[in-house]
Amino acid sequence: MSGALISSTSWRRRNSLVLALMLAAPTITSPLAALAVSLDASPYQLIARGGGGGGGRGGGGGRSGGGGRSGGGDFGGGRSGFQNSGGAGGLNRGASRPTGGWSQSVRGSAPSPSLSRPASRPSGGFSGGTRTSADFGNRTPGDFGNRTPGDGGNRTPSALGAGDRTPGSLGSIDRTPSSFDRSNLSNRTGLTNGDRSLGADGTFNRNGTLNRSNLNGNVNRDGQRVFNGSVGNNWSRDWNVNNVNLSPGWARPGWGYARPWGTGWYGGWATPAWGWWGANAALWGISSLASAAVINAAVDSAVASNTTYIVVPQTTYQLLYGTVQPSGSQGVSFLVQVDGNTFNLTADCNAGTVNGALPNDAAQAELLNAACQVAYGSAS
Amino acid sequence: MPPPLLRGVLACAALLGSCLMPAAAQTQSQPAPSSAATSKVLYTLATQCSLAGGPPQPCTVEAINEGATTIYRHRIGPQTIAVRITESPVTMASQSGTSKTWVPLRTAGALFSTNTICFNGRELCVVNPNYLNSVREDRQDLRLQGRDLVKVHFGPDGRVDASCYDSGCEADLR
Repeated sequence: MSGALISSTSWRRRNSLVLALMLAAPTITSPLAALAVSLDASPYQLIARGGGGGGGRGGGGGRSGGGGRSGGGDFGGGRSGFQNSGGAGGLNRGASRPTGGWSQSVRGSAPSPSLSRPASRPSGGFSGGTRTSADFGNRTPGDFGNRTPGDGGNRTPSALGAGDRTPGSLGSIDRTPSSFDRSNLSNRTGLTNGDRSLGADGTFNRNGTLNRSNLNGNVNRDGQRVFNGSVGNNWSRDWNVNNVNLSPGWARPGWGYARPWGTGWYGGWATPAWGWWGANAALWGISSLASAAVINAAVDSAVASNTTYIVVPQTTYQLLYGTVQPSGSQGVSFLVQVDGNTFNLTADCNAGTVNGALPNDAAQAELLNAACQVAYGSAS
Repeated sequence: MPPPLLRGVLACAALLGSCLMPAAAQTQSQPAPSSAATSKVLYTLATQCSLAGGPPQPCTVEAINEGATTIYRHRIGPQTIAVRITESPVTMASQSGTSKTWVPLRTAGALFSTNTICFNGRELCVVNPNYLNSVREDRQDLRLQGRDLVKVHFGPDGRVDASCYDSGCEADLR
């Protein structure tokens, strides 16, 4: 969401508003009626005439007032931005019980009341922190299992020349022959089946023993590992998302403090406290999960762009974050989409289980972590 | 000179419960709704408030459905400020201390990202995610989609006569 900073000077200064309203007639012949509205008593600078309040859900600027049938602030036509504005810019009594219910206290670090918008708010939404390599799992060469020096014939990072295959740059290696330090090829003895031969045309044959399927996923353009979202044996599919509210009241700007349940206790560790984590993580070739900052930023960005899902970091899962709901004190239920199918899952954020079972792979672990962060993680 | 809403509070405090409303406010005062209306407490929220742009301080908000209105009673230390919101049309009025008089508000503004709603400029600001969650969920159409800041202005008749969103609240169309 983009928007300029509200300056305190503009906030306080007196303003007058000239608003042109055009009557909606079959043919637009009426001159603009300039209406000067003095807001001497108001600190606000307002642009649009709401049209007399309208009624409940409709008609702000509608026929009941505000300058004609077209709606206040509109210039002709019946479909103005204020046609159904409810007359109060969307504000109302606030008496309808929202999804998740009412909160009894504002948790976390007690935010201060403020109408001041952030000074710099990128168009893509809140940045929510910088993605460091740690956020994506510290891909050291050893994490890739099969890519040991012995397998690759002295394929240590230093032997690749110019540090091209540093952990953070995997996937963004410049594979053009000209940039590949061929002097290092002299050390490449022991290549099996001649797969890594230097072709007659000077190209380097990467097919063969450098088997990317062994990486248990893909590497995206940013050099990050991406695990394909797998489907657990006990996941039921074909959930009809059309019957689900994907945008509950809390799934909006400020969602971190708007979640109407106990939050803030999940995460905060370098590695998860789950008993199964260490051995499995090593097996999967990951050393950490996406951080709270990364997940929060993903939700912020999705909210800002009116997107109902986030792509779980390092996976192809699409988590419908608005469906995240607490279940008990440490459980969470949510919908996730995988390859076009939607699954309704539950997770135990303390035990680290999905639908009662340990994650099958790194992708499921990332999904578990993301859902738990959205439900119970700290607000950003 | 403190703003009117706060002046009301101060006047109440000075007179130990006998609240005097500003003269200007008296001229706009509204009668209290029928006492026969059924009241139902929606929630009580422990949160943060600020008065007249001052520092945040702990407060509680009690939201009460009373007939066709919702009343938000803010307790900030020894002070109590109630805001009454009606719908169809949307109007807002405040009541300070023990006064029985409801004084129409001039403005209200909400910033979703900070979960804040302010009344009469910044005379009273409160972090109330419950209110904003309800508003957001009740407005599933496009009017609030992608919006963060919302401000409204009330005319002399107490009804909304202008509203703006986000950077539009900085626009000057003169």
